Amino acid sequence: MKIAVCVKHAVDENELKVDPAGNPQFAGAASKMSTFDKNAVEEALRLKSAHSGDVTVLTVGTADAKKTMKEALAMGADKGVLVTADPMSINTGRTAELLAAAVRKAGPFDVVLCSEGSSDIYSGLVPPMVGEMLGLPYVGYAKKIEVAGQSAKVERSLEDSVEVVEAPLPLVVSVVSEINEPRYPTLIQIMQAGKKPMEEIAPDALLPESKPPSPLFVGMKAQAMARKKVVFEGPPEETAKKLVDALGSEGVLPR
Amino acid sequence: MSIKVWAFSEVPEVANEVASAADALSKAAGGTYTVIGVNGSGPRLAGEAKLVLKGSDALSGSPELTAEALSRAAKEANPDLILVGSTRNGKEIAARLAVKLGRSCASDLFGLAVSDGALRGKRNAFAGKLIGEVSTPLPCVATVKVGAYPTLAPSAAAATMKEVGDLPSKSHLVERREKPRGTVDLKGAKLIVSAGRGVKKKEDLALVSELAAELGGAVGCSRPLSSDMGWLPEEHHIGLTGVSVHPDLYLAVGISGQLQHVAGIKDSKIIAAVNNDKSAPIFEASDYGVVGDLYAVLPAMMKEVRSRRH
Repeated sequence: MKIAVCVKHAVDENELKVDPAGNPQFAGAASKMSTFDKNAVEEALRLKSAHSGDVTVLTVGTADAKKTMKEALAMGADKGVLVTADPMSINTGRTAELLAAAVRKAGPFDVVLCSEGSSDIYSGLVPPMVGEMLGLPYVGYAKKIEVAGQSAKVERSLEDSVEVVEAPLPLVVSVVSEINEPRYPTLIQIMQAGKKPMEEIAPDALLPESKPPSPLFVGMKAQAMARKKVVFEGPPEETAKKLVDALGSEGVLPR
Repeated sequence: MSIKVWAFSEVPEVANEVASAADALSKAAGGTYTVIGVNGSGPRLAGEAKLVLKGSDALSGSPELTAEALSRAAKEANPDLILVGSTRNGKEIAARLAVKLGRSCASDLFGLAVSDGALRGKRNAFAGKLIGEVSTPLPCVATVKVGAYPTLAPSAAAATMKEVGDLPSKSHLVERREKPRGTVDLKGAKLIVSAGRGVKKKEDLALVSELAAELGGAVGCSRPLSSDMGWLPEEHHIGLTGVSVHPDLYLAVGISGQLQHVAGIKDSKIIAAVNNDKSAPIFEASDYGVVGDLYAVLPAMMKEVRSRRH
């Protein structure tokens, strides 16, 4: 089975610093593989071990994205494809176009996996766009994937319901984090990851852009957290009383 | 510029929120809006202009078929802006539709406005740490954050019906089952007591559920409890990838307050927290906090709440 998994290298939302004026400090900020993409890589590896085959990891990112690529390779992916563009300076549609073109070039694949959304922007648009652009069946928000022969049975987790959808291979699937527990690479795997093949492609060589790049965001500011931040410390009976009193005066306790 | 807006959601109640966004936008920018439905949803929709796309039973509930039906209708009517409710299926519909129409797309927007030929809006980013200003040139497709706009009441206006014809499908639905709702619907709950990793054993969740019951509230949890431990069904998971809630009181018990969790509780009126770690980030996101052992503080709160009621 030929498996593709699309990942994103993202600024770590927990480490991102904001200056006193509320401006995010992206320069030099810590970055990582987008949280839920690890579940997509894990699912790709599980499909590989169940059906044999290989896993190609694809990303649109800057040179820094090689770190994420290496992590996926260390987890067990076989090769990487990096399209060298900064996702923050192009829009969602262009990112999806580049991923779809890279999947086409590196393919054909039986299964293309993504996570439901990236941990930085979490738009949730790229996976269905890639499916639509490739003209393949697309099933989103998978919490279980079973492949038998030339068909896949996918359990989708929606807000109020669970659906079981069947589609023929090849197909594109996005996964939710409940689907699995991502593995940690061993030290040996981390050391060997650097030897695995990684291809770099310039975006214009893949798919020339006719329009000027139009980033989605025109600005970003820290979200004002206008909370009172009153903290009570002391013996439990006292602090519990203070808290209940405070909530009572706010009028948020039932009378 | 007079703009033509479409408002759609596969969930009629959400469609009426999107309708209110479209209403505000078309009033401010000058223009008209049409609320779009599928099959039998017409009477449940708001707005004076309604268009209902008629197709097979499979059309209702299939994001793939819905996107194709919307695309066919949009190619004829050519709306400048198509707004879709930002549910999981809604995002898929919007993304597919944007590709079919060759338009750009943005998701989870609120605070919408149209200026200089572009749709402007805000959206959360970096798990809610930042708020981003978005601009997408018209014509475009955008999804509207659920809960960001008030709901318009259904109108008596008759809908224009439109046959969409045969729709090709690349996948098929085998089964659909409703998720268990629990005792209270978290999205509509006025009071939520939520448990996190500070709860040491599954049995100890009783402390949290008893306090919730005493307060007439619902029980929620952070991701590890539903996803890693499996102590509560996924439907209780509050956060970025779970349910977003907006109760009057959100009480976080033993929850450290990772950004992904806080992203789902931001719209609560009052947030309170009990945690034994004074440096836990949840206190930065709370109105009131108690630093202490939940195993001592919760029983004391229970006693306090009971004594006030009698």
